[in-house]
Amino acid sequence: MNTARPVTIIMIEDDEGHARLIEKNIRRAGVANEIIPFTNGTDALAFLFGADGSGMVNKGRQLLVLLDLNLPDMTGIDILEKVKANEHTRRSPVVVLTTTDDQREIQRCYDLGANVYITKPVDYDGFANAIKQLGLFFSVMQIPEAE
Amino acid sequence: MKSYSSGSVMPITSQTFVRSTALLLLIGLLTLMGIVGTNIWLVERSQVYFDEVLEGRIARRAAIELRTSMQDAESGQRGYIITLEDDYLTPYNSAIDRIDEQLEQLRLVLAPYPEAQAPLRQLEADIALKLDELAETVQLAQSGDVQGAMQQVRTDRGKEAMDSARAFVDALIQAIDNRLVEGVANQRNTMTALRWVTIIGGIIILGVIGGAIWAVWSYTQELARARRAVEEANASLEDRVRERTSDLGRANEEIQRFAYIVTHDLRAPLVNIMGFTSELETSVASVKSYMETQPETDDPVAGEARQAATEDLPEAISFIRAATRKMDGLINAILKISREGRRQLKPEPVDIAEIAEISAAAVHHQVADNGGEIATDIRIGKIITDKLSIEQVLGNMLDNAVKYQQPDRPLRVRISARHLPGNRVMIEVEDNGRGIADTDHERVFELFRRSGSQNNPGEGIGLAHVRTMVRSLGGDVTLTSRLGEGTTFIINLPRDLRLYLGNTGA
Repeated sequence: MNTARPVTIIMIEDDEGHARLIEKNIRRAGVANEIIPFTNGTDALAFLFGADGSGMVNKGRQLLVLLDLNLPDMTGIDILEKVKANEHTRRSPVVVLTTTDDQREIQRCYDLGANVYITKPVDYDGFANAIKQLGLFFSVMQIPEAE
Repeated sequence: MKSYSSGSVMPITSQTFVRSTALLLLIGLLTLMGIVGTNIWLVERSQVYFDEVLEGRIARRAAIELRTSMQDAESGQRGYIITLEDDYLTPYNSAIDRIDEQLEQLRLVLAPYPEAQAPLRQLEADIALKLDELAETVQLAQSGDVQGAMQQVRTDRGKEAMDSARAFVDALIQAIDNRLVEGVANQRNTMTALRWVTIIGGIIILGVIGGAIWAVWSYTQELARARRAVEEANASLEDRVRERTSDLGRANEEIQRFAYIVTHDLRAPLVNIMGFTSELETSVASVKSYMETQPETDDPVAGEARQAATEDLPEAISFIRAATRKMDGLINAILKISREGRRQLKPEPVDIAEIAEISAAAVHHQVADNGGEIATDIRIGKIITDKLSIEQVLGNMLDNAVKYQQPDRPLRVRISARHLPGNRVMIEVEDNGRGIADTDHERVFELFRRSGSQNNPGEGIGLAHVRTMVRSLGGDVTLTSRLGEGTTFIINLPRDLRLYLGNTGA
């Protein structure tokens, strides 16, 4: 991710505490990229697709989406669907990070084009560890530019 | 409930059916006996009439023959007296010979009739008189005294006797004829009576048969109606049971969903508490290590800060951590159970004996260490159920048996299974462990509740989990136990899980 154009991590997570803990643990893994947190789906969609909703706004940006499925205004599945359907954002990796471990939900997310599905571990140590490893994973990941 | 008392046909109960059938049978029997009796009596009477007619005819012939013989004798006598030719004596003699015999016959015929005895004696006297006169005149003529013979005839003594005899015979014939006519009329009447008795009896028997058919028919109808009513009631009962079962299934699902959502939503803030406590701990650790490097001063504020950083804060954090860890454990337990409840059951043929062996093998080391043993006595074949649930249930029970064994004696566990009526099976897990106090028999199945001394770690979810699993398999689990002697867990399951799932609409 240490390419010329910095990768931006879009974190869509309604629980601010979780968001902060995720950010802290990603930082601990040595990831210094910009993290933009959103606590609801509407704001996140506005950022991802711009004011006109076309997604053109992302041209030239490198995005990685961290997505929680339980949001106050919509489900993460809706966002995932929109991201993967839009020609400008469809190549951006989406990491689903959620509490649900329902098999049908996991299958559905991968069917819709999710790149990684992670269930938040129940205990904090496991949670922190998972996020750190995710951060390490981010640091070796190649992310394409949005068209 | 539907009522049948308003029907247009009076219902026949089994008692009235039996009574009316018996009555009809009795009527039929009496009628038949009447017909047969009357027939016999009428035939008997007919026989009597016939005999009378026969007798009458014999009497009539005897009387007529006697009269004819008398007349022959008289004609012969007259011819001889007039012609004196012996030719005329031949019919006279033969007639005289017959008369005695014929009179005897008539006497025999009339013997049963006392009223005929007096006229008969008169007849005998008349005949004797006549014969006497005939013999006298013939004798006179033979001796040549034709005049004398004529004289005798002229006395009219013979004629009177003859007239009297003739009158008797005529009266007798008349009486016999009357009797014959009467007999024939009686015979006809008897026949008519016989015909009527037969017709009326036949009608009565037809009526009895009709009545019997009606009784049987309406009783059968009534039975069919009752059976339909029972079937309807049964069907509606089954519907209601199915409805209730599916209601229960839905309610159960609802509760499990609720538990799942609640635990999920509780966990999100808990992760924050735990996370930030952890962050706080890290921060406090750095403050603490900084404080420890600082030299002690007399400044009370610095002393308090040092105490806070090195003692109070770490203590508070350790309590928060312990509490959140406990809470996390509880929430996870609920989550586990609710997840288990949501798990899709997979009915398949499951060999209980095999699972019992595997479960026993899993705890073999722990059991053998104390010289204990696990025996199995499985008297059932494969049942259709969810294999994973059975494995977990039996595993849990054996873990409990090991965990709560009485330390001063080797553990003895016995797993047995047998069939129960109603397509069910019963699996028993019996141990000689420390047992469960009477007051706790139901309590141990509740979530987070444990019994006896808490010298083993545990959250109190094992048996709650077992009960949840067994109930979702359509069964139930209970226990019998004596404190200090041992516990027997009794699991009752349907033999085919698919039928249970079919009923709950799952």
